[in-house]
Formats: sequence, C-alpha cells, structure tokens
Amino acid sequence: MRSGAPAASLTITDLRKDFGGTTAVDGISLEVPPGSFLVLLGPSGCGKTTTLRMLAGLEDPTGGEIRFGDRVIARGDGTALVAPSERGAGLVFQSYALWPHKTVRQNIEWPLVVARRPRAERRPRVEEVLEMLAISDLAERYPGEISGGQQQRVAIARMIAPEPRVLLFDEPLSNLDARLRVETRGELVRIHRSTGATSVYVTHDQVEAMTMATHIALMKDGRIEQFGTPRELLESPRTAFAATFIGTPPANIVECRVEGGRLRAYGVDCGPAPEGAGAGTVTAMYRAGSLAPAPGAEVGPGCLPATFADQVPMADRWVLGVDLPDGTRAHISRDAPADLRPGDALGVRLPAAPDAFFGAGDGHAAAGAAL
Amino acid sequence: MPTAPPPRRTAAGVRLARARTALTRPTAVLGACTLLILTVLVVAPLVGLVNTTLMEGGRDAWGDVFASPMSENLLWRPMGNSILVGVATAAGSTVIGGFLAWVVVMTRIPGRWLLGLLATIPFALPSFALALAWESVFRNGLIGGSTGILVNLGVAVPDWLAWGPVPVSATLTAHYFSLSFMLIAAALASVNGDLMEAAELTGASTLRVARDIALPVVAPAMVSGALLAFAEGVSNFVTPALLGLPVRFHTLSTRLYGAISTGDVSRGYVLSIVLIVVAAMIMYASTRLTGGRRNFATITGKGGRRRSVDLGPWARPVAALAWLLVACTTVVPGAVLVLSSLTRRTNDFTSGFTLHYWIGGSDPAFAQGRPGILNNPQILQATGNTVLLGVCVALGAGVLGLLVSYAITRSTGSRWLPGTLGVVSFVPFLIPGIALGAAFIAQFGAPIGPIPSLYGTFAILVLAGIAATIPFAVRSGTSALSQVSRDVEESAVMAGAGLFRRIGAVIAPLTARGLFTGGVLVFVQMVRDLSLVVLLATPAMPVLAVLTYQYSSENFTQLANAVTVVIAVISVGATVLARRLEGAAQPWNQNS
Repeated sequence: MRSGAPAASLTITDLRKDFGGTTAVDGISLEVPPGSFLVLLGPSGCGKTTTLRMLAGLEDPTGGEIRFGDRVIARGDGTALVAPSERGAGLVFQSYALWPHKTVRQNIEWPLVVARRPRAERRPRVEEVLEMLAISDLAERYPGEISGGQQQRVAIARMIAPEPRVLLFDEPLSNLDARLRVETRGELVRIHRSTGATSVYVTHDQVEAMTMATHIALMKDGRIEQFGTPRELLESPRTAFAATFIGTPPANIVECRVEGGRLRAYGVDCGPAPEGAGAGTVTAMYRAGSLAPAPGAEVGPGCLPATFADQVPMADRWVLGVDLPDGTRAHISRDAPADLRPGDALGVRLPAAPDAFFGAGDGHAAAGAAL
Repeated sequence: MPTAPPPRRTAAGVRLARARTALTRPTAVLGACTLLILTVLVVAPLVGLVNTTLMEGGRDAWGDVFASPMSENLLWRPMGNSILVGVATAAGSTVIGGFLAWVVVMTRIPGRWLLGLLATIPFALPSFALALAWESVFRNGLIGGSTGILVNLGVAVPDWLAWGPVPVSATLTAHYFSLSFMLIAAALASVNGDLMEAAELTGASTLRVARDIALPVVAPAMVSGALLAFAEGVSNFVTPALLGLPVRFHTLSTRLYGAISTGDVSRGYVLSIVLIVVAAMIMYASTRLTGGRRNFATITGKGGRRRSVDLGPWARPVAALAWLLVACTTVVPGAVLVLSSLTRRTNDFTSGFTLHYWIGGSDPAFAQGRPGILNNPQILQATGNTVLLGVCVALGAGVLGLLVSYAITRSTGSRWLPGTLGVVSFVPFLIPGIALGAAFIAQFGAPIGPIPSLYGTFAILVLAGIAATIPFAVRSGTSALSQVSRDVEESAVMAGAGLFRRIGAVIAPLTARGLFTGGVLVFVQMVRDLSLVVLLATPAMPVLAVLTYQYSSENFTQLANAVTVVIAVISVGATVLARRLEGAAQPWNQNS
C-alpha cells in the first residue's frame, strides 16, 4: 500500500451476485494488466455498480473470484473475503460521501489516522494531496461550504491519500455540470497516471469511457456484452447492443429479411445477403458516415424512405436525425446541414453492403466487420 | 505480498472459512448482543410475570380473579370503569384536540402560535399535576379532611364533580388532548395549502373539499390520537388513584396496585396480565389502523403558504373558546398548584400565604411537623435520585436505542434478526407502566442465581426505565440514522474504520442533534412518570413522583403541590435547555 508498491493487475473470474431472487451480476470474467484504466460501461441496472462494490468489498460476491495481482481478495463461496481496508483500494462515491462534520483536511487525514500512520508521515502526505488537487485553500472548510466540483476534488484527495494500488470510481462525474465534467475527465486521467495505480471506473456515458479507458467492459443485464479496448469496441462491435451504445453518433441498426439471397427492409431491396445467411432475418449495421440523404424524396432499391427529425453540429460535421417508417431513429453524418424542415420526407441512401451483420436472435456478429 | 491459499473444497473447510469471515462483519454480532439485552429487559419480566401466576400457590389467583364471588369487585367492575374512562378520554381528547388543531392550523385567530405552544404543554406535565389541581379546586367534604378552593369560598360542590368518573375523565382528557392536537395539527398542516387549492381549482365546493380531501388525510391522525388516548385512559394509574379511590371508584390499575401493595401479589400479577392484554390490543389496533409507528408525526417546521378559513362573526366566540380551553388546561392548573402550595391552611386563600411549605423548618403547626420541601433531606435525596434516574435512563436507552436501530437498519443477510429486534423493542409500548413495574418485581424481585434481589435498588428503577422507554429510543435512533446516508458510512468502511469507530467518529456526531433531543424527551418522561416507579420505589430509594403521591394520599396538599411544581420546573427546564443547546451542537451546520 505504500508508495512505490507496484500496481496490481485485476482478475475477475465467473463473478456472480444474487440479491434474494434477482441476479445483479451473472457470471462475468475479465483480466486487465497493472496500470490499466478499466471502464465498466452500461445502462442503469446492468450490474456495473454492483461489480464495483464487490471490488471495493462493500458487497460480498455469491459466486466466482476476484484477484488483485496474485492475491485473492474475494471468493463467492465465502472462503476468502479480505476486509475493504485491507485490499489496498480506494473508492470515490457518486455522492462523494464526504464526512460533513469534518473539515476538508480532516476528511483527508482521518483514513490515515485510522490506518495508524504516524503523524510525521500524515501531515506532509495531506499537504501533498491538497497541493496535487489544488485545494490547499479549502483545507479548513467544511464540505457544506464548498462547491460540488470542489467536493469532488476532496473526495479524490481522500481516496488517494493512503496511496491505494487500485482506484475505484462510481460515476464520479454525474453530479457535475457539462463543462466541469470535461475538465475533470482530464484531471482524473492525470491522477491515474501519476499514481500508477490500476483504476476501475463505472459510468453510463460512453464518451467518458472512450476518452479515459484503456479497457472497456460493456455490460448489459449482469453480463459482459463485449470486453476490449475502446477502439475494438468502436470498430468491431460484436453485438447490435454494442454498436448502438458506443460511438457519437451511434451506428444504425436495420432489421432485414433475407429473400432469395437479397436483403429487404421497409419494402426496399438493400443489396446482397451475406454468405451463409439462410431464410429469416439478419441485423445490418450502417455507420452514420456510410449513409447519405438522397436528393429529392427518392425511394427505391438501396434507398430507404424516412422522415427528417432534427440536425445538430458535431465537431466539423452535421448529424441528421431521421425516423425510419417503423419509428426507428437513424443518424446520418455529413459535411453540411440539410435544407429540410422537421416532418419532411427524404430518402436514405445505403452503401452497397452494410458495415457489419449480426445474426438474428442473439444479436452477435455473424460476418466480420467490414470497415 | 501475501498470496492466496489454494481454495479448500471440503465442506468443513468451507464452513470454517465462512464462519471466520462472518465474524469480521460485526453487524450480526451487534444484533445478537442487543437482542440478548432486550430479551433480559423486556421478554424476561413478562415471562416472569406469567410464570409466577402459574406456579404453586399462584394458580388459585386466576380462579379468584375470573370466577369467584370476588370477581365482580376485583375484575369486572374495575374493567368496566377502565373502559368507561378510556372511552370518555378518547372522545374528549379527539374533540378538544381536533378543535384546537383546526383553530391553530386553519384559522387566522390572533396569537395562534401561542395557542399551539400552550396546547402541547399538558402532555409535557406529569399527569398527576392536573389531578392535584382539580382536587385543590373541587374537593368537597365527602371523605373528610381539608376541602378545596370552591368549598372554602362557600360554593357547594356536588359529589359527582369532586370524585369518581367525571373528574377522572376530565383531567385525563385535559392531559391527553395534547397528543390528539399534535397528531391532527400535523396532518392538517400537510393538507393545507397546495393540496386544498388543487382541489378547489376543480370547482368543488368548500364542503366537498373538506369531506373528500381534508377528512381522509386527517382521519388516520384522529383515529390514532383517539386510540392512544383510549389506551392511556384505560391504563392510567395516578388519576383514578387520586380522584377515584376515595369513593371506591376502582380501575384495573388501581386494583392491581392495591393488590400488590397489600401483599396479595398473585392476584395483582393476574390483573397486570389482564391490563397488558387489554392495552396491547388497543395499541396494536392503533398501529395497524394507521400504518404503524411511522405515523406519529409531530409538527414540523414545514411552512408553505397558509390558507385560512374566514370565520366572520364566529371569530370572537371561537377564539374565546380556544383560549378558554388552553387556559383551563395549562395556565389555571399551574397557578392553582403554585398558589395552593403557598396557602397557610389547605386551599383556603383567606387563611393567608406562607412560604413554610417550601422553605420552613419542622413546626408541629404545619403538616404534622414536616419541614418545607427545600428543607427536607428526603425530598432533596428524591430530587437527586429523580434527576440521576432520568439521566441514567436517557443515556442507557439512548445508547441501546442507537445500537438496536443500527442493527435493524444496517443488517444484511438474515432477515429474522432485525425483524425480531424490531418487534421486541416495540413491545414495551404496549405495556402500561404499572404493569411493567409489576413484571419487573415478578422477575427481579427475588434473587436469580448469583444476582441478588434488585427490589428497592436504584438499578431496578434504571432497568425498568430503559425497558419502558426503549420503543421511543429506537424510534428516535432510527430517524436520526436515516439522516446519515449509507455512502458516508461506507466511505468510513473503506478507510478501515471498524463498527464502533464508525459509530463513534461518523454516526454519533452526525446524529447528535436527534439523539440529544430524544434523550431529553426520555429524561422528561422519567422525571414525570409515576405509574412505572410507583411499585418499584421504596422509602429508602424515593423519587419525586412517588413522594407527591404519598403526600397527596396523606392529605399534605401543599407539599404534594409544591413537589409537583418542582417536577414541572425540571421537565420544562430540560426541554427549554435542549432547544437552546440543539443549535450549538453542530458547527458545520452554521450557515445552513
């Protein structure tokens, strides 16, 4: 736990958590090397926070195993359960959970007091982290007297003061305004690097995940939908869920029927079916940049009927939102704004072949990514 | 770095490892320990009570009480009287409390806030204060001895007004209407404003709004207040003892006191069990009907825009009636008690005034030579005992209540432990004080193994006090704990702080305000209580309330009234002090 201790790798094997009759985490496995920045990404209720709390030791797993480095810190059968404070992990809560009756300095120092660090060691360490997070001026204030962003910094300072080898973050940016969120993102990555610790970060915001992570575990319904680097998830989504959850704007999904070796959707021919696809339906993925609005309201082979909804500038491009006939929202990215009003009909021109296919039913990738 | 041992797969190994990790989660251990303490304090006395009546020599008592020529006088008539008093108290409290709540919350009568404050005071006073005041005013010559103020002024007081069910019910109503007032006012305040406006916007008539919106919201509070007043009326001891006993108007409480204090212990215990069953059924019905303990709301600082009913020509009569009611239940009794403690001859203002009963030395001309109360070592000892008792019970119940409520709210895993804790800690709420006192004598009155008999010791008073106040302490502990978010505590877990360190360094400071207020209320409850301690206190271990009762029974009216004033001063003083200190306790809340 002292500085200089090597960061620990993190290994999760078949981890489960059942609350009474409901399953929050349904057997997940992953492994990241020391110094990684792992993001647990997913919609609310997907089990990501429960997983983090099991890493912290605030919940006990009901199955599987967690290791920090070579050390088993929790086992689902109860044969190993290391106390939270013995795990060498620090946690930043979503609500920050500062102790309201202690000053900023006392908040940071108290965990060191509990850990019986000698005073001569404590004082300089508190000054160091106050300095590191630029909150030295606030040291004597109470949490109720400082702003949300400042409280956030205090919570981080409190976490890193005992020099943990694993940093845990539970949606730490969700209570900040948009601008502060972007600034703090950079700050967190800087702290992660300077401590050299392994970080686990829970969020439902894919932009946060893409900007900070070395590894992303995309979760849904207590399972890992896809695990990989941000680039792998963006470029080779393995499921329709991954494709629509990640990317700005996310990729578009079109359900197609296979008829005589051709794909049909909304009564329109969408090109040749992938090899090996029998009769039935397949899910085709089109990136926003692969689609284009057709001139006029032309509809025909390779061109889907749609209704214009809205458009928004993004970086140096424009993203058009259109509604397909069954109400599915699709995004088209292009260089210039469209001269359309909401409700106008338009055609959506498809490329010769989708960017990817996912099989029917399980939604998993059927043919390789074609980008 | 320690490496993990290879996973053991034998069943015994797994169980051993599990037991070891379970011991590192002290919430379960805490729950088990507090349950053990509660069992000793609450379950054991009740079991002892029942057990004693079933033992050889005690069994006849059941027959004597239920099926013998004595039953009529021992059980059925007192039970009828108890129920009569309970019904009258419930009806009176609901009418008066409801009326005052409506005046304070819904009208614009000048000085409403003072009315509201005064209407809460009777509940903070000892219940014998009003009975003594009544006696000082209305006592007639029926049973001999001195007479009350009216008779001394030459006004004839009929017997029904001086003794029996009418004065008993009237003084109990004057005491317990506060409870109905607080409950109904809180409910009315919650319907006032937006809720009513929303209803009026639909075009409904005022009457219809009152019937369809206001009444359903207020009804649970009215029922709850009525049932509580009923239960208190049925089980109250001191008021029927002072105003009923002289004319042989017996209730269950006075019968059981009479039986136990005259050595007829087994019958007394049987009557205690009857009283517990009657009171418990009513209290249980009350909590079921109104959704449980959560509903004991008190007036909060919730402001909001207040709408008020325009009374028109009725404003003056309504205001006059409201002021008359609070004056008769607070100001007048207070003045009567103070003044009558100063009269030279009992309740006779023409006899002149004297401070003898307060500060005089022993003088055969006054109260058979008893010195003034501030000059009487027994009173001073009793005052010390009473205050110490209040402090000990407040601390004991406060600590135990916090630990129990912690175990209830923060337990993970097994559900039966917190559930059992919740039920056991609620049970004393169902038991009338005098019956709980009887149960403590039954269980702790005789030596148990190495533990000597606790009868007549300070310890039995403290233990009984903690048992009696634990439901309240657990409730205030639970509401205080709900102020501390789980995250704030978990961040202390992450820092490595153990259970007691978390309670000491995080939870206690954050809940200090609620715990302190709860502690003061327990203190006040103990200082003014008579029914719990009347069987437990002995001449060697006196407390103020019991001395008041003795003085009154011996017809030393001035002394009884003076001691009552002392008790009232301590209770009210503690409440005011608590309000003052509350703000200073939490510096981090200064600018909020």
